[in-house]
Amino acid sequence: MKRRFLTLHVNAAITISRIASWWVRKLGMGDGAALPGRILLWLRPGAITELSRGLPAVLISGTNAKTTTTALAREALAGSFQVISNDTGANMESGLAYALTRCGGVCSGKALGIFEVDEAYLPLIGRQLETKIVALLNLSRDQLDRVSETRLTSAKWRAYFQANKDVKVVANCDDPLVVYAANGASNILWISAGINFFQDARSCPECGGEIHFTTSDWRCICGFERPLPDIEVFENEVEADGRRIKVDLALPGRCNVSNAAVALGICQVLGVDLASAVRRMSYVSEVAGRYRRLSVDGRTVRMLLSKNPAGWLEVLDIVRDDRSVVVAINAQVADGRDPSWLWDVPFEFLQGKEVVASGERAFDLSVRLHYAGVEHSVIKDPIDAVKSCVSSELSFVGNYTSFQELRKRIDSSQNPRLARLHRLGDRISL
Amino acid sequence: MTEKIKVVSVLPDLLGTYGDSGNAIVASRRLALRGYEPELVTAVLGEAVPADGDFYLIGGGEDGPQAKAAQLLNADAALEAALDRGAALLAVCAGFQILGESFIGPDMNPTTGIGVFACKTHRFDGPRSVGELVTAPTPGIDGVPELTGYENHQGVTELLEGTIPLGMVLVGKGNNCGKRIDGAVSGKAIGTYMHGPVLARNPALCDYFLSLVVGKLEPLEDVRLERAHAKLYEERIKEAYKLR
Repeated sequence: MKRRFLTLHVNAAITISRIASWWVRKLGMGDGAALPGRILLWLRPGAITELSRGLPAVLISGTNAKTTTTALAREALAGSFQVISNDTGANMESGLAYALTRCGGVCSGKALGIFEVDEAYLPLIGRQLETKIVALLNLSRDQLDRVSETRLTSAKWRAYFQANKDVKVVANCDDPLVVYAANGASNILWISAGINFFQDARSCPECGGEIHFTTSDWRCICGFERPLPDIEVFENEVEADGRRIKVDLALPGRCNVSNAAVALGICQVLGVDLASAVRRMSYVSEVAGRYRRLSVDGRTVRMLLSKNPAGWLEVLDIVRDDRSVVVAINAQVADGRDPSWLWDVPFEFLQGKEVVASGERAFDLSVRLHYAGVEHSVIKDPIDAVKSCVSSELSFVGNYTSFQELRKRIDSSQNPRLARLHRLGDRISL
Repeated sequence: MTEKIKVVSVLPDLLGTYGDSGNAIVASRRLALRGYEPELVTAVLGEAVPADGDFYLIGGGEDGPQAKAAQLLNADAALEAALDRGAALLAVCAGFQILGESFIGPDMNPTTGIGVFACKTHRFDGPRSVGELVTAPTPGIDGVPELTGYENHQGVTELLEGTIPLGMVLVGKGNNCGKRIDGAVSGKAIGTYMHGPVLARNPALCDYFLSLVVGKLEPLEDVRLERAHAKLYEERIKEAYKLR
């Protein structure tokens, strides 16, 4: 094990950010990565490059499923590498910087960074790390007030790959905007990971013409077309390296088999045995609080997170058999200030269930549900919404901040000391 | 016999990035609830825009698809023919820009628009206009209270002499041309920077449009729906003023 020389200054910055992280978690102000990371970068602006020297990095980006795919890849690779990862979903520069404090300048030859990266930050972060592999999942509309529109993101990714030819790309060949970006690279492994939301992909990123989709293929008359996949998904099997491997996950839904396929693509590029990788992935039963079952007032609540139309299509599949669903929509900065995307979600699928519209933007959701013909009640407070349900088992679907808020409130409701600290944290946040 | 009303969503796959499909959903449903028989036609890329529509809707989108939509609509006279015949039109954001006389294309050069509105759009050389937008409708937009929506654009839209705006800006930027106005009105055509979608946020504006198409409208009997609309409307107006 090689010990890298770090100045006291960096170590001091790391220590301060760690203390900040401890307090952020104690006060219920977050998962303790973003703010401490910001402090670290403030005290030591070059910390990302400095701390990641000698650490080969795998980056995972896209609009949806970054956190879950990163969790699956992390677990799959943990048998072969000393993995360093941002496991709380903090995926901008600050989150990355804080995750890197864990390597603390000690990187063995077997160390590997596996990071989820916000789609808008991919080129910026990619350049600061020793990036070896980038996995691209999908691109669709999300937080349009903050992230640029999808075509612009795709073009920025493409330019990054064109300028960094040694980066290997693992990419979803079913999403035209991902393919357009990945084509900037020269070494690409294509995964058929599926696409469920076509509205952002209908016009060709090469020529602006119309892309024709069939069930498993797409092409434009300009010649831009779906590449042949190296890894394909069949129900709950993945075909990779010329053989079929059964993927038996604890995580629900077809989308997670696709996410596992992308994680397997990363494993294949790194030369990791795929069968044992799949076995390890089956241990993942929750991801940063998502899919976890919590108990509230005698009810079992399955926690789901969904932030945009494409994500909702996956969630509607997961809650298909549920009798009760609480949907909580916020529109804070981290959610995107404009919830007009609710109109792109086919909420009609919730008809016949007990549905409660909740969150700060419950009224926007309520109008949408009316037009989707979904009977529902409106209770803005998410805990009260959960408690109003008749069923003893239900799913809670929140977008980013409403999900985090409920998690935190359930934690503090079960621990009075925690509740006091969280109230203090709320006051500081205000 | 019920009256058939053709609602046409124009190129939603190019211009429909901001939940714009909601405008078509709301317009169709509010017709159906009043006993009309709405026919919702989505004229997607590769399909002709029908010339026999009663109410046309065009939404917002990105620069590339926006230019493509302008190119397609300039090559096809169906929309203009329908407007000449007396059809109504709602154009939002990028859709509003291309229906002016010119807008800025992805190559940053002025591009010829469809010319439904006498206005020109150029690119704002400052921060994007993002946030809640509230306007007081121009006199003549009968029975419509303050309008609320969400804007997200880089445009500066100058109205040419004689063109009237949709509203005076109370909160937000709108056309961002220095005159505190949003949108444009030309006959039965209305352009605006308001997403939301705007007809879901402002059912009164939706009903105003529908009355242009079918004549005087009865109030809706669906009390729960109208109550949901009212709650959303009041909340958004209140929040927008708080943010100001």
